[in-house]
Amino acid sequence: MGREVAESCVDAVVIEMVSAFCHKFYSAEPELAARRIEAIGYQVGHQLVERYTMDCPRFTDHLEAIKFICKEFWSELFKKQIDNLKTNHRGTFVLQDNMFRWIARISPNPLQENSTESSTPNDDNQAAQTTSMHLYFPCGIIRGALTSLGIPCAVSADISNRPACSFVVRIKA
Amino acid sequence: MQFFGGSAAAEMTPSPAAPPGTATGLAGNNANMLYIFNRNGVCLLYREWHRPLHTLDAQEDQKLMFGLLFSLRSFTAKMDPTSVDKGNLGVPLLPGQGCSFYSFRTNTYKLSFMESPSGIKLILVTHPKTGDLRDALRYMYNLYVEYVVKNPLYVPGSPIKGQQAELQGSSRFERVEGSGQQVHKLPILDSNPIQGKTNSG
Amino acid sequence: MAPVVPRSGDAVFANVERVNAELFTLTYGAIVRQLLTDLEEVEEVNKQLDQMGYNIGVRLIDEFLAKSNISRCVDFKETAEVIAKVGFKMFLGVTATVTNWDVEGTTCSLVLEDNPLVEFVELPDTCQGLYYCNILSGVVRGALEMVSMKTEVSWVRDMLHGDDAYELRVKLIKQVPEEYPYKDDE
Repeated sequence: MGREVAESCVDAVVIEMVSAFCHKFYSAEPELAARRIEAIGYQVGHQLVERYTMDCPRFTDHLEAIKFICKEFWSELFKKQIDNLKTNHRGTFVLQDNMFRWIARISPNPLQENSTESSTPNDDNQAAQTTSMHLYFPCGIIRGALTSLGIPCAVSADISNRPACSFVVRIKA
Repeated sequence: MQFFGGSAAAEMTPSPAAPPGTATGLAGNNANMLYIFNRNGVCLLYREWHRPLHTLDAQEDQKLMFGLLFSLRSFTAKMDPTSVDKGNLGVPLLPGQGCSFYSFRTNTYKLSFMESPSGIKLILVTHPKTGDLRDALRYMYNLYVEYVVKNPLYVPGSPIKGQQAELQGSSRFERVEGSGQQVHKLPILDSNPIQGKTNSG
Repeated sequence: MAPVVPRSGDAVFANVERVNAELFTLTYGAIVRQLLTDLEEVEEVNKQLDQMGYNIGVRLIDEFLAKSNISRCVDFKETAEVIAKVGFKMFLGVTATVTNWDVEGTTCSLVLEDNPLVEFVELPDTCQGLYYCNILSGVVRGALEMVSMKTEVSWVRDMLHGDDAYELRVKLIKQVPEEYPYKDDE
């Protein structure tokens, strides 16, 4: 095992990064904030994969590379593997983590005024938006990792079964 | 904050005598109220399990509770016979300065108190015969950290909203205070998890 | 009941959830890089990193206090030691040394010889004014403010600028007593 830091360090930096890009630098342009967060993830994925594959042979096909992401790569990041991998054999892969650490802690936080306990649609929107902003980061990591393995792709995340999270990878032909 | 009347209250009464010593530090099923304040006097969380008598509105009640603790701490520090270094009564203390009290007891209830150096105050009001709750309060402080502070959607210093507490923290808070026996079921507000899709690339 | 004993940095670090340091280092690096692209001015990046650190410190303080069992921090000297030996250790896995106290006992240095934040980092020539680790100074300032100590924190040595260690100068401006927060006593 290499060097470690407290998980809170990563959590704290990511929370603050998302909050700074969404609420400070690009508060009026969520699209741009999302793109920046994704780009940061991409950079991280790209650099991590370079480090982890230094003494690996090149992968011969897409499936092998995806499997590497599901096993070795995911284990390095989350100390567990992807739980379920599906594919349609036409370039789409679904990687499901049944208990994705980075969203396990996210619990809806409606706006800050006290009064009522019930949430309004507005609160839910806000929470949903922040949650999806947080997901751009791991999506970017996966895309960065696969791209530097020679597989250009688009990655999206689906959390309709929280705390499970499915990453959908569409390989660009 | 509504009082959970009717059946919930009936199940609860009368408060049974706490098991002597409650060595585990758990409150048994005799918790009445819980308050969490931050250093600015904002009531971050209020929960009640058994409080038949309401005479004040919630805000006034919280303000009084905070004021009571604030003054009591000032008094206890002032009366400390072992310390040479004590300010004048009413002169503000630094959090953690001077001595600190853990609890007080009346003939009808016991109030247990914990304050972190960052000024987070946890107050648990229970049956007067409840044992030492310092461990339980510290445990709850840890829950506050794990399930509130570390929630990316939580804005530090803001009241903990229902859903947040219910979804993650409060069921656990409940376990501490209720130690197994559900006093009443907290309304679970969030039955529909947030759905969201994020695209990248 | 057994008295609560503050835990040592090693003990706390052994008990917290830990992750691969590369993930942390590279994530931070990618953020700094993005800020440099977006904000252009190095000075502005320094400022934003410090502000981000401050917000992080405000959040992390309670985790630190809860996990280390620290129940009081009134004395600045003691607090500086605790940050160096327990705080840095608990989060970053390294300890700092407290030195260079001034005569009044209100300013000291935290010296880091090993800093996981900067692994794989080299500053390009265009970024010579960048305080790459400015997030750390913000964290220290934010965390201390939450325990009532208003401080100024600045870098005096930085290995990325060719020094032999990282040295953070921490100056206590004042200790803020707890005020009764409600203005009107109705």
